[in-house]
Amino acid sequence: MRFVPRSETAPAWTAFCYGVALAVFFLLSALVVLSVGGSPGKAFAALFKGSLGTWNAVGGTLAKATPLILTGLSAAIAYRARIWSIGQEGQVVFGAVAGYGATLWFGLAGPFGIAVALLCGALGGAALGLVSGVLEARFRVNVIISTVLLNYCVGYLLLWLLQPGLWGEVGQTISYQQSAPVADSLFLPAIPGLSKVHLGGLVALVLTIAVGILIGRTRLGFEIRGFGLNPRAMVARGVNAGALILAVMAISGALSGLAGIGQVLGESHRLRPDALAGFGYTGIVVALIGRSSAVGTLIAALFFGALAAGGLTMKVMADIPSALVTAMQGIALISFLLAEIASLYQPVRPVRDGGAA
Amino acid sequence: MSDLFSTTILFAILIAALKMATPLLISALGELVAQRAGNWNMAVEGTMLTAAYAAYVVVVLTGSPALALGVAIAAGLVVAAVNGFLTVVLKLDQFVAGLALNLLASGITLFWFRAGLQGKGTPTFASLSPISEGPFAGLYPMTVFAFALAPLIWWFLERTRPGLELRCLGENPEALDLRGVNVRRGQMLALLFAGGMTGLAGGFLMLAFSDRFVPDFTGGRGWLVVVAIIAGNWRPGRVLAAVLFFAALEALAVQSRVGGSFLPEQLLLAMPYLLSLALMALFRSKSLEPAALGIPYRRR
Repeated sequence: MRFVPRSETAPAWTAFCYGVALAVFFLLSALVVLSVGGSPGKAFAALFKGSLGTWNAVGGTLAKATPLILTGLSAAIAYRARIWSIGQEGQVVFGAVAGYGATLWFGLAGPFGIAVALLCGALGGAALGLVSGVLEARFRVNVIISTVLLNYCVGYLLLWLLQPGLWGEVGQTISYQQSAPVADSLFLPAIPGLSKVHLGGLVALVLTIAVGILIGRTRLGFEIRGFGLNPRAMVARGVNAGALILAVMAISGALSGLAGIGQVLGESHRLRPDALAGFGYTGIVVALIGRSSAVGTLIAALFFGALAAGGLTMKVMADIPSALVTAMQGIALISFLLAEIASLYQPVRPVRDGGAA
Repeated sequence: MSDLFSTTILFAILIAALKMATPLLISALGELVAQRAGNWNMAVEGTMLTAAYAAYVVVVLTGSPALALGVAIAAGLVVAAVNGFLTVVLKLDQFVAGLALNLLASGITLFWFRAGLQGKGTPTFASLSPISEGPFAGLYPMTVFAFALAPLIWWFLERTRPGLELRCLGENPEALDLRGVNVRRGQMLALLFAGGMTGLAGGFLMLAFSDRFVPDFTGGRGWLVVVAIIAGNWRPGRVLAAVLFFAALEALAVQSRVGGSFLPEQLLLAMPYLLSLALMALFRSKSLEPAALGIPYRRR
């Protein structure tokens, strides 16, 4: 049996590859559980119960998926243009800082205050995205590198801001690595019927549709896809590569920034590093598994949201550390990447011709 | 401020900086070889983390730092082999593969740590200690090794025929292929060398810097290695300078936490990243990045 590149995709073979990937994903995850003497059956049952088992659990899954949808879309739109930004982590933090800062500077309150804070969060993320965009377009500094560097810089900025005397909340004896809470009137309201899901979930859903339309049905989207497939051809057609990079990085940054301020107003209600950590990096994985399409990203984000929500139940019910979820994310990414490669090839039986030639 | 500049403290900062430079330098020399051979090897962070974890487990179980370093190197080789399979054989995007491996390493070490090691008390063990006398007193043998290795790597890359071939892998692999050189084998070997070196760096980091493993122990040092190579423009001497500079800033940051300084600690810690960005933006025209870096080689 040999594998040769396929000239066109075959839906049946692709589905088969992804089916195998899913099986491999569960098999490898089970091995990781077994490696510490745990029971994979118990672990997966708890994961299921905690993510989809009850209506309440479904709410938890949607709540965990909300920021991942936004950071996933943020990565997806950049990767469609083959701009390898990994700045989502920093943009989440910067969006949260900008939005939280706005609530302080402007003394925001009420629904109008929420709108302004969300806008400032998105603008903050976009601004940080634009820094990398300008560095790439104007100074030819690799986007991967500049975004990694900025992620660390923004992380230190947050720690610096959270010192007592700046934004840090000072307790009676110790100072916490967190800010004071925002005003109650700025808390994002819950969606009726799903007490765990805040308004951001709805925003994320609307933006999924918006990004889907943007990529698939607009001129900018056409240029983004074309730039990803063949940048030179697009430039030859008169597309301004620098402007396109800036536009993509601004939109990508805004989506991540929104995820950051959404976490602040909807979940933690204050600026806290651990309430913001990881969504950016997970969003990258979500986009890669979702093959950088809006719908794929939504599905992958819901899947990862379910893992994250179920991880807590798994810890309680099966006594398996919820860190398994992070490992499972890595395993999922590798399984799906391999499936994607395999789907581009076709198996061929070697031809027997009696030894001649 | 006057405290910061007294002679004893300056000397202490120098010793601390050399210690901090050691894992960065060892890993950077390996990564330099991989990148000059055309592979970004974005999995440095995950490789270092895996190796540090492996070293910790071995030293807890056996108490032997030497064995722990050996296993750390082996762990680095394993991660590099997987990365090589994904990027050199399957020609998966190097950035995506590296990201996946980093994520996997972070998740699995965290999971095993939480499941196995946490809450069982912190075992004390014989970690590495500095040289006690002679001209290198106060330094670690590994530091001496790392600084001795730097000129050797330079000599290999710039002055030997295999070094020339290796550089050609990153500049024009097609030319080598036409001459009958096995491109895939060369790139795999370069990656394995990088993995082994980063593994050694992770092991040293574990054994010399701490008596316990904590989640995400390496804390971005792997990324700093990639940054050092870019800031050093893919030339051994400049990479060494970048590593020393980063280590000095880190030592200063630690000192400022202890003794206080006129700059915030966070700014000192962010400095390597900010300065690298500025350097890259300023010297863009003279980039010596290998021409085929990051492009999987396919026969036409």
